[in-house]
Order: sequence, then structure tokens, then C-alpha cells
Amino acid sequence: MDIAFLITNAIVVASIYGLIAIAVSITWSSLGLVNLGYGFIFSVAGYAAWLVADNVSSNPILIMGAGILGGSLTGVLICLVVFIPLHDKPAFTTRGLIATLAISLIGSQVLLMMFGPTAKALPELFGRWKLKMLGMTISADKIGIVVCSVLMLGIVVMWMRGSRRGLEIRAMMMNPHAASIVGIGIRSTGIYVMALTGAMAGLAAVLLSQTYYISPFSGLTPLIKGVSIALCGGLGSVQGAVIAAILLGLVEAATNKYLGGQYVLITQFLFIIIVLIVRPRGIAGLLDKAREQ
Amino acid sequence: MTDSKPNSTPESSYLWKNPLTAWGTATANAEAPSIPVPDPATVWRESTTFKVQTYLVGRLKYFIVWPTHRKATWDRLRWWPTRRNILNIRAHYNPKTDVSEKKILDRKPIYWLFALVALLLGPLIFPDNQMNALMTAGATFGVFAAINVCWTLIIGTAGIFSLASYAVVGTAAFVTSLLSVKYGVPWYVLPPIGAVVGLLFGALIAAPALRLDGFYFALLTLGLNELFRVFFTTSKQFGSASGGLYGADSFIMESWAPLTQSMVAYYSSLGLLFGALLLFRFINGKQLGRVLRMAPEKREAFAAACGVDYRRARITIFILTSIALGFIGGFYAAQYRGVAYAIFDFHTVLMGLAMITIGGIGKAEGAVLGTLMVIFMRDVLIEWGSWRYVGIGMAMLLVVLFLNNGYFGIRRQFAAWRSKKRGEWRSTRAEKGGEVLPEEATEISDKDSIYFRRFDKMQRDYLKTLISPQIIDEHRAQPLGQHSEALERVLLYFRRSKMDDKYALHRAGPQGPFKIIAFSGVRGVSPRLVDDREYPTLSDAYHAIFMRRVHDLMET
Repeated sequence: MDIAFLITNAIVVASIYGLIAIAVSITWSSLGLVNLGYGFIFSVAGYAAWLVADNVSSNPILIMGAGILGGSLTGVLICLVVFIPLHDKPAFTTRGLIATLAISLIGSQVLLMMFGPTAKALPELFGRWKLKMLGMTISADKIGIVVCSVLMLGIVVMWMRGSRRGLEIRAMMMNPHAASIVGIGIRSTGIYVMALTGAMAGLAAVLLSQTYYISPFSGLTPLIKGVSIALCGGLGSVQGAVIAAILLGLVEAATNKYLGGQYVLITQFLFIIIVLIVRPRGIAGLLDKAREQ
Repeated sequence: MTDSKPNSTPESSYLWKNPLTAWGTATANAEAPSIPVPDPATVWRESTTFKVQTYLVGRLKYFIVWPTHRKATWDRLRWWPTRRNILNIRAHYNPKTDVSEKKILDRKPIYWLFALVALLLGPLIFPDNQMNALMTAGATFGVFAAINVCWTLIIGTAGIFSLASYAVVGTAAFVTSLLSVKYGVPWYVLPPIGAVVGLLFGALIAAPALRLDGFYFALLTLGLNELFRVFFTTSKQFGSASGGLYGADSFIMESWAPLTQSMVAYYSSLGLLFGALLLFRFINGKQLGRVLRMAPEKREAFAAACGVDYRRARITIFILTSIALGFIGGFYAAQYRGVAYAIFDFHTVLMGLAMITIGGIGKAEGAVLGTLMVIFMRDVLIEWGSWRYVGIGMAMLLVVLFLNNGYFGIRRQFAAWRSKKRGEWRSTRAEKGGEVLPEEATEISDKDSIYFRRFDKMQRDYLKTLISPQIIDEHRAQPLGQHSEALERVLLYFRRSKMDDKYALHRAGPQGPFKIIAFSGVRGVSPRLVDDREYPTLSDAYHAIFMRRVHDLMET
């Protein structure tokens, strides 16, 4: 296989999983919630997009919008059911983790009952054209995926840097206790954060469904990949997650090239474990101070 | 008596009796209509009754009081050859009745005994049409409960939030199955080999656990689980076609009758559960567990300063438990003749987490009860279809949302909630009973003064009810001399008051006028003039003082 092809593949995959990793990371650092319900958000967003594509129109923007909306509504649901009742209770982190897992268990069973076990496929959103660049052919969906996720990430980062709500979220990431003292509502910020990160996961679901099918349990692998990248990058750091996503993509490409596809997860996890043993707070431990509990 | 207020009716209703008539020495009339005087005892009764509503529910723990066995009172059942008691019994002489009695302070061993006996006798009471399903579910329950009890040791006692327990079990089961299938290793060697595999994998996973804290480790182990799943399902040696690796040697002979087979499986897995419980008891209840109870989360630094090597204790527990999990894996392979890939599924981890959450994390009884509930819903209520997973998820969600530590934490949580509520209620009904608040009473060394002030308040409360226009008129008419009972009681109280700030009269000239002064109460300090008003006659001055005192009384 061509190394350039592998690297483009790695970048495409990294841009999708990077979105989820950043979502996991932001949720953890601002709310202190380890949200393992992103798998469920992912599936719901995929089904929402599929419903629109199947019943309403095949306009790509509409389909993506449906996915983003579905993801963000599910994120708000998780916030209402888990974060708001639990955030001031003892052992919140453990209980929050288990509660999000319970929601994803219930949710995936409900999805299974509603849509059945057969996988659904979305239409091709970006067309079938190809681009020849630097001596290699890149298909439309790859360019579309990378452009969309970079765009989404850019919008999120701009919003977090420029808006009042973003300032509140960043304050919560630095010190939630002090943020609540100076008048930032923990619960309202929780809803913003979960809607935002849910939207990111929803977009990732739509983008990933260009390659994979949508099924009730399809969110699991993206969740685990996203969580691993977030861990490796350091929970709470956007830059760390981006760097980790690119590094893990490269590791994947290199493994595919030199060892074979079945060793991808092993090398990735060895890489993550080595990074974590060297820097227990991930790559971001080098960049800035991650949230301490 | 120029007042237009109704003053004739009480005079007719209340009769003053001359006390001297009883002695035959009365010169005046025996009785006369007078101003009504309420009973002083009513105020006393009202302020001394306990007005707080009391309920039968109390904080006392309910113990069954057993009679003792005379001389055998002080005999104890002990775990031979130690001197440890089997039951924590307190025997004493009842201080009120002097009868010897005993209480079982910790009844958990008895409940455990009942539960284990019920599990042992289970096959006798299972209904015939459900026999097969229940026996299979029972065997699954034993194995999963054993795994969950070990997992509880890791999450609860050691405080390492590992989600890779099922991965360790699965790895041991796969390795031992492979050895048995390929090299014909007999069944009784599988669990020890599994233990060795568990040791290796435990040591491997423990390395990052030393560096990572809390949820970094949880998320990492979640990924490890997925890694193991992908590795085993894609590798050729572990037979990726059949959904698992089957054909291992087993202690359950295929030539036996089906019922015998399921009986053997049931009781062997119960034995495994019993072994896991013993392991739990010996790790959680002995030195390692106690050391770690001293070093809970976020207080590790304190424990370390006290000389507790908590990291070492945690890793020791982790590795010991991994060995046990590996042993269970080998046993699993030997019981089911192999293992399916499903053991690495995220779904299995979820179910396991539901099992330990519902009962309460950190408690062996919680792990066993949760496993029982979840296995029953999952494997016995099969006709519910997908709804049973929704039910399990709802149970998990509700427990996590409303209970601090699962089913077995309800009691403590309820007690804490009740004492909080009790404090709130107490603060709403706190009232100023006497002049002295309970808080200041502790600061006053002369307790007599507390009781005096309390009595004084009651007395003033009573005297306020006596003040009426009639007695004021009566006093104006005749400041000195025989008065009605009501006026007499009021005047007696006024005369008896303390010397500091007591009112007196100052005669300005030989025949008056008079001014009201107040004594300082301090020797050598002259009285102060209360105001500039002058009273021409002595009677007017007396009445002015009386009115001033009445005002003071009504204002307190």
C-alpha cells in the first residue's frame, strides 16, 4: 500500500475520532463528568440523519443538521438526567460514569426495538468527485470529512474563545468551584457544554457513516477510540487531543504498513500506555495544566 | 368606679372569702364579690408541659434480646484454632432488672448462612417446568458472582477503578481452552494455569495503575477490554469462526444424565462463589483491607505520613485478585468446555457494572445480590425480550441517581437523611421556654439563678393576666390598706423586687411634693431621679409608682 494513501486515511480517521475526543475532553474538564454515553449520542445522531435522509430530503446540509441536532438534544437529555441531579451528590464521578453507561444501555436497547438490528446506510453526502493532488487521488468524502470536522472544530474553538458562554465554559474548566462563586451557573453551563459536545459527536456520527453503517451499537468503537485519544492527549486539553489524534493516526498508518491491520489496536494501546506512563496526564501535561480531579 | 367598661359582671361572678372566718375571728363580712383571679397553676402547667410532638420511631437500634444460658453465658463459638468469635455477641446483666441477657451485635454472619443454605437447597424447590433454565442460570450466577466479588475487591477495597476484570477472566479462559484443545491438558490443571495467566496479566495491567489515577485508569482499562476482544476475535489460533473456542476438557462428563450435569455445574460454581467470598473475607477483613480503609481516596497523603504503604497494599490486592480472576477463568473453561468472545464484549462489562452497582460497590453482599438480580432478569425472564435489558439499565440508573451506595447502603443513607431532617425540625420548633436559653444556661455556673429566672418569667406571665382597669382603679382609690386578691398579688410581687433600680419616693419639702427616684443598688452610689414630675400628695405618688411598675411588667 502507498504510504501517502495510508497517511490520508489516518488523517481522515483522526479528524472524526478527534471530534469525539475533544467532546469527551471538554465534558470531563468543565463538568467533571466522564461521559460514556457518547456511543449512544452517536447512534441517535446517526439515526436522526438517516430518518431525514430517508423521509425528508437528501440535501447534505439538512442531513448533517439533523445529525448535529439529534446529537445535541441527546447530550442535553444526558445532562438533564445525569448531570443536573447528580453533580452535587457524593461520589459524583463514579456515579456519573455508571449513570451514563446505564443510559447508553437503555438507549441502545430502545433504538434496537425501534429500528431493528439491520444496519442503515446514509447516502453519499459529498458526491463522487475525486481530486488529484501531489500525485495522489483523494476522494470527495475524505476531503469532505476533513473539511467538515476542521470547520466544526474551528467554530467550536472560536465560540469558546470569543463568546460569553465560551468564557463561562473555560472558567469552569479552570476551576469549577471558583466559577460557581463568581456567578456562573453550573447547571446552565452544563446544558451548554452537553449540547455543544453532543453536536460535535453528532457531526462525527454523520461523517463516520460515510464509511460505516448505522446500527444501535455502532457508537461503541468511536467512543472507545475517542476516549483513548482524549486520554492520550490529556483530558481537558483541546490541543492535546488534536496532537494525540494525529499521532495515533500515524501509529495506525505505520502499523498498517509494516505489521498488518490486526495489530493496529495493540500498537495504539501500547503507544497510549507508554505515553501515560511517561506523562500520567497525557500529552497535555507537557502543554498546560490539566484539571486536577 | 367611673369606668364604663364591664366591671360589674366579674365582681358578681367571683367571690372573695374571708380567710379568718374559718378561725371564727373575722370581724368583717365572711365573703365579698371581688375581681376574678385566674388559677396560678395554669401558667405553671402550661410552661412546664412538654409540647414537642414525639414519635415512637427512635434512633435506638432494635436488637433482639436473647436470654442467656446461665453458666454458658460467657461461652463463645470461636474459629478454631484462633480466639476469634464467630458471632459478635454482647452478654451483660441488665442494669434495671439484674437479669443476664445477650444481644447479637452483628447479625450479618447469620444472614450469610441463611443465604448460602438457601442457595444450596435451591434445586430442591425450583419448579419442574423451570428447572433447566434455573439450574443453568444458577451456574452462571455462581461464576459471575465469584467474578464480581473479586472485582469488588479491586474497585472497593483497593480503590482501583478497573474495568478489565472480565478481560482477565476471558484471557485466562481462552489460554487454558487453547491449551486443553491443542495439547489435551486435563481439566484439573486448567484453573491453576488460569491463575498463572491472571498473574501475568494482572502484573501487566498493574504497571499503569501505579502511575495513573482514578478515571484515567478506568478509561484505559475500557480500551484494554476492546483491545483484547479484537485480538482474540481476529487471531487465527483462537478459532475466529465459531464465535468462541470450544472443546476443552471438563469435569462434567458428557455421559452423565443432563440433570446430573447441571447439578454438578450448579454446585461447583457455588463452591467457586464460596471460595471467592472467603478470599474477600481474608483480604478485605484482614490487614490489607484495614490498611486501605485507613487510606481512602484523597487522604492517601495522610495515610502515607502515618507509615501506611497504600500503593503497595493496592497493587498487592490487585495482583492477588487478578490471580483469583485467572483461576475463575480456568474454571470457566473447564465448566463450559471453552469460552465465547462475548466475555470481552462491552455489553458484558456493562452487565457486570450493573451487578456490582445495584447491590452497592465495595460490599460482597452487594456484589452477590446484584448478580442474583441481574442474572435472574437476564437469563430467566427471557420472554421479556429487549425489555429486560431496559429493566436492568433502569435499575442501574435509578440506583445510581438516588442511592449513594446501592441497595446495602440504603440503611446508612436513610439514617443520615433522618438525622439531617431531625436537626431541621428541631431548629424550627426551638422556643424560648424561660428567660434562659439552653445555650446560655451552660455558661451560667449558678444553676439556681436559671431556675429563679424561669420561675420569675412564669410568675410575670401570670401577673400580666391579673392587670385590669379594675385593680388600677382600686389602687388609685386606696393605695394602702386592704385590697382585692388580684391587686394584692401584684403588689406583693412589686414589693419583693430587687433593690437595683427599685422605685422609691423622694420628699422634696416637709409636706411634699414628691418625686420618683430609683435606687442604684450599689452601696455609696446615690439614687437617680427618674423624671421631673412632682406629685402633691403621698397617695398620688404611690399610685404613680404603681403605674410605672405596671408598665414595666407589661413590657417584659
